Amino acid sequence: MTKLAAWFEERLGLSAIAKFGAKKEVPRHKHTIWYYTGSAILVFLMIQIVTGIMLAFYYRPTLEGANESIARIMTELPMGWIVRSIHSWSATFMIAILFVHLLSIALTKAYRSPREVTWMTGFLLLVVALAFGFTGYLLPWDDLSLAATKVGTDIPRAIPVVGAWATKFLRAGDDVTGDTLTRFFILHVSVLPLAIFLLLGVHFFLIQKHGMSLPLEAETRKKRLRSIPFWPNFVFREAAVWLVLLGVLLTVAILFAPSLGPSADLMAPAPTGIKPEWYFLFLFQTLKLFPAKVWFIPGETIAVFLIGIGALAFFLLPLIDNRPAEKKGRMASAFVLAVIVYALAMSAWSLL
Amino acid sequence: MKLPYSMFSRRSFLNGLLAGLGTALAGTFIGPVIRFVFPPYKEPDEVRLAFVDYKDMKPGEIKGFAWGIKPGFLKLQENGAYLPLVGVCSHLDCNVAYLPDQKRFFCACHDGWYDENGLAIKGPPPAPLRRLAAAVEGEEIIIRKAQG
Repeated sequence: MTKLAAWFEERLGLSAIAKFGAKKEVPRHKHTIWYYTGSAILVFLMIQIVTGIMLAFYYRPTLEGANESIARIMTELPMGWIVRSIHSWSATFMIAILFVHLLSIALTKAYRSPREVTWMTGFLLLVVALAFGFTGYLLPWDDLSLAATKVGTDIPRAIPVVGAWATKFLRAGDDVTGDTLTRFFILHVSVLPLAIFLLLGVHFFLIQKHGMSLPLEAETRKKRLRSIPFWPNFVFREAAVWLVLLGVLLTVAILFAPSLGPSADLMAPAPTGIKPEWYFLFLFQTLKLFPAKVWFIPGETIAVFLIGIGALAFFLLPLIDNRPAEKKGRMASAFVLAVIVYALAMSAWSLL
Repeated sequence: MKLPYSMFSRRSFLNGLLAGLGTALAGTFIGPVIRFVFPPYKEPDEVRLAFVDYKDMKPGEIKGFAWGIKPGFLKLQENGAYLPLVGVCSHLDCNVAYLPDQKRFFCACHDGWYDENGLAIKGPPPAPLRRLAAAVEGEEIIIRKAQG
């Protein structure tokens, strides 16, 4: 056994990782709690991967088969309904914690030098996660998912010059058809997973390279800072959090399983009271606000333009707020808080 | 009561407890996953054929039918009874073809041969074709799994 271990050690040098893990420490301060959000996202991502593969074993990405195959998963396969319910709810949990993760980093200014690229890959991961949600929403192919996809893929059209092209690309043509479904499926199960693994690899590497960021107050009192070993102390604490989250996820998934409408009819009128997933509500409400035309510019173009500027500002936040770590950065905090308030208010409004 | 010594240290007891709970938890997750990944295959309990379609068969003649999602062959024997066979090769699961002019079943995958009663006569098949049971009831021929 030791001989075998030595053989692998000589070829792989894995003890370097063990050494790194033994040395790695997690600082303890009043903002330590935000460190837990990262691994919680990862837990939900793992659940998404496992349940997603399970669903894909039986799912059929075709106009005729999609809705029927989901119905079969939910009614015929052992535990199928709960597998779908977990996949749907775990997506919601993951995106919710992603928002918390992002905002905690924005407010503790953890994106500042040298962690600018870590922040940017994190923002791109959020975009990929939202794209996962958007493409996944179509796959059950019922009237709600069809309407949501028609609206969602029509939005890029408001962008001048490239917009019409983008819509065409997303829809695989001028309209939402069976080809859109197949395209969304392959984006959901192949293209986006590749993107997320690539980005996660860079994100993790940078986190290890730069170490955990310290919030402002802790940074100034660095000498007296306590820390706990990553392994096993911190990992066990994280595991306790995972267990609680898993319990909540299962409870919610069992009590509130997602429904499945009848197979989408391309000729049918949109169902009344359609709403996108909750994490798109504030964008949905923003689009509703704008009139058809402001002077001579289409209202939608202005809305998409403003949303684009907001997203870009978030992406480039570390470059805009590029002051040294010891400065407070009230402007950046104000911007982030304003976005939070705006998003919450808009979401609440759209639910009224 | 305080024991003079213990086989376990408190640490090893707690470690064992934690590992045990972890394994039990993992088991409760993996169990349903396995059940989901291996869906129950249900072969039909019985298949009902319209007698009209088969009553013109001559003794020794063989006609096809569907045994669920598998091909079936119904042979009218010399004594007037029906012999239903599942047309799936006993070697590696290929569907077989019936060649009426040779009165033999042929599996193209690995050149396997069965006689008209489904008995393996040449090539790799290790066993005869699977036999079902048939009974004429009123206007229907009812095919069931063979007893035993």
